[in-house]
Amino acid sequence: MIDFGFMWEALKILIAGLPLTLNLAAASILAGGLFGLLITIFAQTGGRPAMVIANGYVFVFRGSPLLVQIFLIYYGLGQFRAELQSIGLWQFVREPYWCAVLALSLNTAAYSSEIFRGAFQSVAAQQVEAARASGMSGPLLFRRIIFPIALRNALPAYGNEIILMIKATALASIITLMEVTGLASKLIAETFRAVEVFVVAGGIYLALNFVLTSILSWVEHRLTPHLRPRPDPLPAKDKPLHV
Amino acid sequence: MYEDQSTAADAVPVVAIGDLRKSYGGLEVLKGINLEARQGEVISVLGSSGSGKSTMLRCINMLEIPSSGSVSIGGEAIRLRQRGSGMEIADRRQLSHLRSQIGMVFQSFNLWSHMTVLENVIEAPIHVHRHPRAECIEEAKELLARVGLADKHGHYPSHLSGGQQQRAAIARALAQRPRVLLFDEPTSALDPELVGEVLRVMRSLAEEGRTMLVVTHEMAFARDVSSRVIFLHQGCIEEQGAPGEVFTTPQSARLRQFLSTNRDAMVVS
Repeated sequence: MIDFGFMWEALKILIAGLPLTLNLAAASILAGGLFGLLITIFAQTGGRPAMVIANGYVFVFRGSPLLVQIFLIYYGLGQFRAELQSIGLWQFVREPYWCAVLALSLNTAAYSSEIFRGAFQSVAAQQVEAARASGMSGPLLFRRIIFPIALRNALPAYGNEIILMIKATALASIITLMEVTGLASKLIAETFRAVEVFVVAGGIYLALNFVLTSILSWVEHRLTPHLRPRPDPLPAKDKPLHV
Repeated sequence: MYEDQSTAADAVPVVAIGDLRKSYGGLEVLKGINLEARQGEVISVLGSSGSGKSTMLRCINMLEIPSSGSVSIGGEAIRLRQRGSGMEIADRRQLSHLRSQIGMVFQSFNLWSHMTVLENVIEAPIHVHRHPRAECIEEAKELLARVGLADKHGHYPSHLSGGQQQRAAIARALAQRPRVLLFDEPTSALDPELVGEVLRVMRSLAEEGRTMLVVTHEMAFARDVSSRVIFLHQGCIEEQGAPGEVFTTPQSARLRQFLSTNRDAMVVS
């Protein structure tokens, strides 16, 4: 039998992990998104060598499991303790939190840069040409024309990536972080009631992503009025024209 | 809004093209074009497909970089330098500055899809010319009223017909207060019944003394509106002159042939 009273208790315990889940997701989406954008710009403007480096990066981080990347960073970087200490990075790398943020960021940067690349490539050359013809160039052209159009192109796919990242934070529980999934594993170890606890944990992610999806579709709706039907449509076929 | 040039400035051509050549690989599209457009001239550029007329127009604002030759805007030569077998822009800042004085209207309108009609028109005045926003909006509204789009400020390009989009694009070009307007087959992408509304706007611009270079297939427009007609054939100016001469007494066999195959287009006005 499912014990709803216990599930309510479990919810109260697991919800305490929500801030850390959100923190991990926000930090890595922000850092990874920015890094991904830099990779894209680097690859598009740096000539052939830059393209090769960027492609190599994307290949490695997209082609290997995130879990393996987390393990490599969390356990692997310990081998370079002396070197990391000498450049002052050890105090970050020894924290599981920073290892998780680093792994998640590097991973999402690879996916994001591919999304951004596609978004930039699908900016119509004609619109860029019109901007150049009017005297725009360099940063102004990027800021006013290329970026706004690319952003709108990227939004649906990037929304996907954000949702994937929310769920990917669950892997941080493997390296001792007590976010929602970490707390769930701990609670199961104490109670042996896997079904109730995981149903509650899954429900929390579901609710989180529901809110996120709503925000994303609102943003997309706001940014793309030009893709909606015109505001003053002709009367629909089922409505008779009044003459 | 439209600045009168002094008589001294009239002596300097608004656009001067000198020995302009353009090759794509081994294919030479322009074979040494010389052309001067003076203040207030309306020059129609005719020619069959592949004659190089669009390429010539696009070389004026360096959307295509010529292989050799020179282009001057208002007496100022666009700085180019040798690179390999061709040329490249030597001074991007100068080019942007000169481009901001050239209004261009494209065959497929090329309005910025994420901006409303009004935003399209005020974009360059605000961000390139750095005029005050309120002033730009004021002027944009006048321009949009002029091209018959007074009630479409808030519409996005995708919500307009082709003719409306092209008129908005003309308003956008005018908002730059350009010294010269370049039209690259402005009616070729339009349904036949929408061509007239765009030509009417262009005609009114010609009548108020704007300097215009128009690549077109609209023979009636070329005949009735332009002050000079240029006929391009295989990358050379085959023939040029006042429309009266060019259309009634064409000298070259090529032009006679071109005119006879395009006679149908003469009827539409």
